[in-house]
Amino acid sequence: MANAERPALSVLIADDNMTDRMLLAGIVRRQGHHVLQAGNGQEAVKVFELMRPQLVLLDAMMPVMDGFEAARQIKAIAGDELVPIIFLTSLAEEEALVRCVEAGGDDFLAKPYNHVVLGAKITAMERVRRLQATVLEQRDLLARHHGHLLNEQRVAKAVFDQVAHSGCLSAANIRYLQSPYALFNGDLLLAAYTPSGDMHVMLGDFTGHGLPAAVGAMPLAEVFYGMAAKGYGLGETLREMNAKLKRILPVDMFCCATLLNVSARRRVLEVWNGGMPDGYLQPLAGQRLLLPSRHLPLGILQRPAFDATLETFAFNPGDRVFLLSDGVIDTANADDQLFGTQRLQSVFDHNKDPRRLFEDIREALSDFRGESRDDVSMVQIEATAPGSLPASGLIFSDSGQLTPMDWSVCFEFRGQTLRRYNPLPFLLQLLLEVQGLRDQSGALYTVLTELYSNALEHGVLGLDSALKKDGEGFTRYYALRQQRLEALEQGLVSVGLEIQPLPEGGGRLCIRVSDSGSGFDVAAKARGGDNAYAGRGIRLIRELSRHAEWADDGRSARVEFTWASQA
Amino acid sequence: MAVTSEVSQDGTVLVITITGRFDFGAHQDFRNAYERVNAKPERYEVNLGEATYLDSSALGMLLLLRDHAGGESAKVKLTNSSADVGKILAISNFDKLFEIEKPGHNG
Amino acid sequence: MASEHLDYKVLAALKEVMEGEYLLLLDTFLEDSAARLAHLRQAREAQDLGQAAHSFKGSSSNMGAWQLAQLCQELEERAFHGPLQGIEDLVNRIDSEFATVRGLFEDERQRAAS
Repeated sequence: MANAERPALSVLIADDNMTDRMLLAGIVRRQGHHVLQAGNGQEAVKVFELMRPQLVLLDAMMPVMDGFEAARQIKAIAGDELVPIIFLTSLAEEEALVRCVEAGGDDFLAKPYNHVVLGAKITAMERVRRLQATVLEQRDLLARHHGHLLNEQRVAKAVFDQVAHSGCLSAANIRYLQSPYALFNGDLLLAAYTPSGDMHVMLGDFTGHGLPAAVGAMPLAEVFYGMAAKGYGLGETLREMNAKLKRILPVDMFCCATLLNVSARRRVLEVWNGGMPDGYLQPLAGQRLLLPSRHLPLGILQRPAFDATLETFAFNPGDRVFLLSDGVIDTANADDQLFGTQRLQSVFDHNKDPRRLFEDIREALSDFRGESRDDVSMVQIEATAPGSLPASGLIFSDSGQLTPMDWSVCFEFRGQTLRRYNPLPFLLQLLLEVQGLRDQSGALYTVLTELYSNALEHGVLGLDSALKKDGEGFTRYYALRQQRLEALEQGLVSVGLEIQPLPEGGGRLCIRVSDSGSGFDVAAKARGGDNAYAGRGIRLIRELSRHAEWADDGRSARVEFTWASQA
Repeated sequence: MAVTSEVSQDGTVLVITITGRFDFGAHQDFRNAYERVNAKPERYEVNLGEATYLDSSALGMLLLLRDHAGGESAKVKLTNSSADVGKILAISNFDKLFEIEKPGHNG
Repeated sequence: MASEHLDYKVLAALKEVMEGEYLLLLDTFLEDSAARLAHLRQAREAQDLGQAAHSFKGSSSNMGAWQLAQLCQELEERAFHGPLQGIEDLVNRIDSEFATVRGLFEDERQRAAS
């Protein structure tokens, strides 16, 4: 009888022999199933189409259309769904049985009928049918889930692109290669201008794949863009990123990353590499330099242990820096050989036109593999001559009606603060409260940076910029800077800001920066040739501000900005 | 891939040996190797002598072990790493977190 | 109570399975068989003859008429594979066997109806 294990099925019986059909219907009905009947093959196909029974019992020899043809048509109509067909036959010959199977039969039942055997066959067939139905259900479920997943990835990518596009990856001096879905391989490529026109670049690689690898990318991008726009240095951005990832990621997840600060104005490249493959610095003329991993990846160390020390290199127009993810080196060909660093370096060695370096590498990769992987990320940045300053990346939510117009402040930054703290973003934020200055935020930030680093490096730390006359001296200069800064106990830089309205409308900002150093010869510095590293800062300050003067043997600078009345 | 572990006679050192590929497939076995031991070892040693390959999720597992062993104060030694495996540890600068012992320096 | 003409054990099983439709089954078999016998007599092609014999064999065996089923099988084989000589004799034997079986079924019918 039908019960939970043997549910009532709808069974089609097709036989032209009325006696047999009646008898079989009686047996099947007695076993608790519902019976549909047909007197020949054609009728059977029609009834099947109309009523979709779950099991079909077909006599092989019937008039009009025989059982073989009916079986073929029924199987075609059923499609993916398994509808077991049992042939009713007293055919004894093997040949006939083979025909039954070829036509799609799943089993045979010989006449005279034995109701015990028939019951067992129906149960067995039902088990197979349900197995197939479950498989189909799961297949459809999987397909639906997969569709959901793809859709979620699309949405996540669209959201992420909104964040990522606030950057400057489209800048003319950047070339990059990245799969559209690199995010889901944990690869992350970000670039942004700072207010002074420096460019911050990050190539990162999260552990793992899929969603877990992608979740860390969003907060990281937010920190990267937010801090670059506010004028924070790369070191501060690194510390903040590391702290954030340490806080939010599980212990076994981290992010390998190389971060760059590219300063066209200072002709400097600053590099931090934690866990990424070697980067390459290819000067226009001269030896290629490796930029190896010197640090643990982001998100592993606690704040005090984290080391944000940057390496500084000269970076003159035409020089190139090249970063890549391990997907490039681990690209395997059909023989399971890896592309490897040697092949990569030989592309560098054989490159004849530096402008084609990026294409050469790309071509070498595709020649090697024949198809591209989706975890290959690489980026190349070319040093350019300093151009115009970028528009402010900051978005102001206030209307500017409440702008403070008559005030002054003075800060003194001393020993320990100078060693660890960068006051520039804070000072810039303060000045951008004044609506009239917002249009000049880039110039303002550049001048503040120059004044502050002059006071710190030449004044407090007593560094001689004449050192920077060649690449070697350049590296020595920055090593010395680091060394003296770490040892710094005393000394001060004072920054005074004064805002006054002008009688004809608009206003004036006066910046005063002085330091505890031993002064310098302003006139001699400013005469320095265009190729000299020294003196460029002073000329830049004069170009960008309305008025600049130095007093007290260069220990004290006074710079003015003005703005017109705003309608 | 196989992960085996053995506690030293005095119960102070747990040695975990990785054979074959050390990647995400080893995740559960690796955790079991230090979580399902009755002893409370003072030091841990991960023998990578038979490890043929190591990926970033393996590095993550080593970080989990370090966390389990006390984080900053953990005493975890990585031993016998081959040139290839050693290179991966070096790129990630894991020598800043773990004592890394090259083969031939048995001690 | 088995005879070489009709197996009463089979009939008992059919009675149990068919319940209220047992009599209808008997009637159907008798009517169907008469029609099939007429078909045997009229068949012009060997193929046609073989198929009718095949069908008749199926229902006879299901109804426990072993002798009849046996004769139908012989006819089917000879229709499909030869020799065809003397085949009319075989049809006559099926005819007379069916007459015997019909009698037994009619007795059974009366027993079951009472």
